[in-house]
Amino acid sequence: MSLEMLTEERDRGGAGTPLLEARRLTKHFPLGRGAVVRAVDGVDFQVMKGETLGVVGESGCGKSTTARVVMQLITQDKGEMLFDGEAVGGAALSLKAYRRQAQMVFQDSYASLNPRLTIEDSVAFGPTVHGVSKSAAIARARDLLARVGLDPARFAARYPHELSGGQRQRVNIARALALGPRLVILDEAVSALDKSVEAQVLNLLMDLREEFGLTYIFISHDLNVVRFISDRVMVMYLGEVVEIGPVDELYDDPRHPYTRALLSAMPSMDPDNRTMEAPLAGDPPNPINPPAGCRFHPRCPQAQTVCAKAKPVLTQTGEGARLAACHMEIAGSGHSRAPKLEDAA
Amino acid sequence: MSVITSDASPAAMVTPPLRSPGYWAGVWRRFTRDKVAVGAGIVVLLIVLMAIFADYIAPADPTRSSMLRRLRPIGTPGYPLGADELGRDMLSRLIHGARLSLFMGVVPVFIAFFLGSLIGVSAGFFGGRYNTVVMRTVDVFYAFPSVLLAIALSGALGAGIFNSLLSLTIVFIPPIARIAESVTTQVRSMDYVEAARASGAASGAIIRIHVLGNVLGPIFVYATSLISVSMILASGLSFLGLGTKPPTPEWGLMLNTLRTAIYVQPWVAALPGMAIFITSISFNLLSDGLRSAMDVKG
Repeated sequence: MSLEMLTEERDRGGAGTPLLEARRLTKHFPLGRGAVVRAVDGVDFQVMKGETLGVVGESGCGKSTTARVVMQLITQDKGEMLFDGEAVGGAALSLKAYRRQAQMVFQDSYASLNPRLTIEDSVAFGPTVHGVSKSAAIARARDLLARVGLDPARFAARYPHELSGGQRQRVNIARALALGPRLVILDEAVSALDKSVEAQVLNLLMDLREEFGLTYIFISHDLNVVRFISDRVMVMYLGEVVEIGPVDELYDDPRHPYTRALLSAMPSMDPDNRTMEAPLAGDPPNPINPPAGCRFHPRCPQAQTVCAKAKPVLTQTGEGARLAACHMEIAGSGHSRAPKLEDAA
Repeated sequence: MSVITSDASPAAMVTPPLRSPGYWAGVWRRFTRDKVAVGAGIVVLLIVLMAIFADYIAPADPTRSSMLRRLRPIGTPGYPLGADELGRDMLSRLIHGARLSLFMGVVPVFIAFFLGSLIGVSAGFFGGRYNTVVMRTVDVFYAFPSVLLAIALSGALGAGIFNSLLSLTIVFIPPIARIAESVTTQVRSMDYVEAARASGAASGAIIRIHVLGNVLGPIFVYATSLISVSMILASGLSFLGLGTKPPTPEWGLMLNTLRTAIYVQPWVAALPGMAIFITSISFNLLSDGLRSAMDVKG
C-alpha cells in the first residue's frame, strides 16, 4: 500500500496511556465590551485506545467547540492535550503530525465536500498534502471508497451533488480515513441522515473501528445512537463536563440530576410505558453569563443553598470509573443528600 | 475486500456513467437554455468580430473627411448611416470605434479582476487585522462615486488612452475586491475548508484547491457586469476630452463631437450612444445569464 509512510508511527505510549487526554481545556469567545461566551470551560477527559467516547448534551453546551479544539481547528485559551502521552503541538508531536493521527467527520455532508472536486479528488487531497504522489493518493482514495461501500468504478469520478446524503457521508468517512488516523471525531456525523441510512452508516463505522483499530469521539444529541455505539459517555452542560462514565452504568444509574433529566427526556419505545415525568423545564442559561456555583442549579430539582455558592468538581462516584460533578456526590459538600464524610472513607 | 451495499438510488444503478459531466457542462447546458443570454452572447460576439475585422468590414476610411458632405442624414447614398460633422462616414466610424470602446470596456475590468481578486481573496481568507486594514483602505476608494473617481484620476494623470485605462482599473479594483472578499469569507467558513485544514494542508494549498475554484466563478461574473460600466465611463472620459483624442474613432468621443449637431441631425448624433447602449446592455444580459447559470446548487 502506498500509505505506509503515513502510518509507521503507531502506539507509542503503550496500552495504558490514553490516546487523547484533555486537561482543563478552555475556549472563551469574546463578544466585545467584556462579554465572553464560555463555550468550553475547563473540560477534562480521556479517551482510551480503541474505545468510543460518546459526548452528549443540549445544543450550545460546547460539544462542537470541544470537537474543534480537539481537532485544533481553533486553539484553546487554556489547557493542553496529550496525544498518546505527547503534548499536541509540542516538540515530540507537531501539529501537522498530529493531524495525520486525528481526523474529523462533520455533520453537514454537503458542506464538507468541495463541490468542484470529484469525490476521489476530495478523498485524495489529504494524502497529497503529506507528500504522497497524486497517483498513489488516488489509488488509496479508490480503495477507501470501496471500503466504505461506494464502488469506485461508479462513484470515484462523481461530484458531491450527484450523491445522496448517506453516500456523501460515506465519502466524508473515507476522506477522514485517508490519512490513516488513529482518532476520528464524529461531530453529529449521522444526525442529518434518514434513520435507515443512519443505521447503515453506524454499522459501517463499527466495522471500520474494528478493521483499522480506530478510536472514536462520537458527538451526538441522539441518546439512543450514543448508547448503541459508545463504550463510555461524557455528558456536557454549559461548557463543562457534568458526568462521565461507562455507557451502561451511566444510562442505568445516572448520578448527576442533569444526566437523569436528559435520559428521562428520551421518548419511551413502549406506548404502554410512557414517560410520565415532566421533562426539564426552561432553556439552558446563557453561556455568556453562566450561573455561579453549579451551573445546573437554577434548573435542578434538588438544588440547595450550597449549589448556588460552590462549584462542584468532578468526583468519583459509584464503583468503577464514574465521575460526576454534583454536590450530592461529594462527601461533606453541605448538600443534605451528600454522603457523610465517614461513609466516604 | 467486501463491498457493503450502498444506499444508491435505483436510477443511479441503472445508469453508471464513468465520468460525470461536471460543473461547467451543467453551466453551459443551463446557459444555452436561456434565450435572452444566448441572444446577448451572440450580439457581443458579433460586436467583437466587428471590432477585430473592422478594416475589412468598414465601407470607407473612418478618418477621411469631406467638407461637402457634413452631417448627412441616415440613408444618404454612400453614407448608409449618414456623415458626421466633418463629413466622415458614420458607419465606418462606428465599426472602427468598437475597437477602442471594447478595449476600454474589457481591459480595465480584466486587470481589475486579477488585482481585485488577489486583494479580496487574501483579505477574506486570512481575515483578522489584515482583512480590516485592506478592506478599509479599499472602502476609502469605494466611497467616491466611480464617475468622479475616474474623472479625478484621469484629470490628475492627464489625457490619453493609457491614463484612462489606468484610472478605470483603479476605479474597478475596490468593487471587485469587496465581492471577492465576501465570497471568500463565505467559502472559508465551509466545512470542506475546515476539513482541508484538519488534514494539515497549508494555506496556499487550501486557497489553490478549495477556495479559488469556488470563488473565481462568482467574481468573474460580477466583473463581466462591470464591462458595460467601464465602456460607459471610458466613453464619458473621452466625451470630457480626457480619453481618446480626435480623429481616432471612439464612441464616447464621437458622441462628444456630434453633440453640437443634435438639432441638425439628431439621429446621426444619437448613433454612438445607441452603439454604447446596445453593447453595454448585451454585456449585462450576458453576465446575468452567466450568473443564473452558475447559481444553481452544485
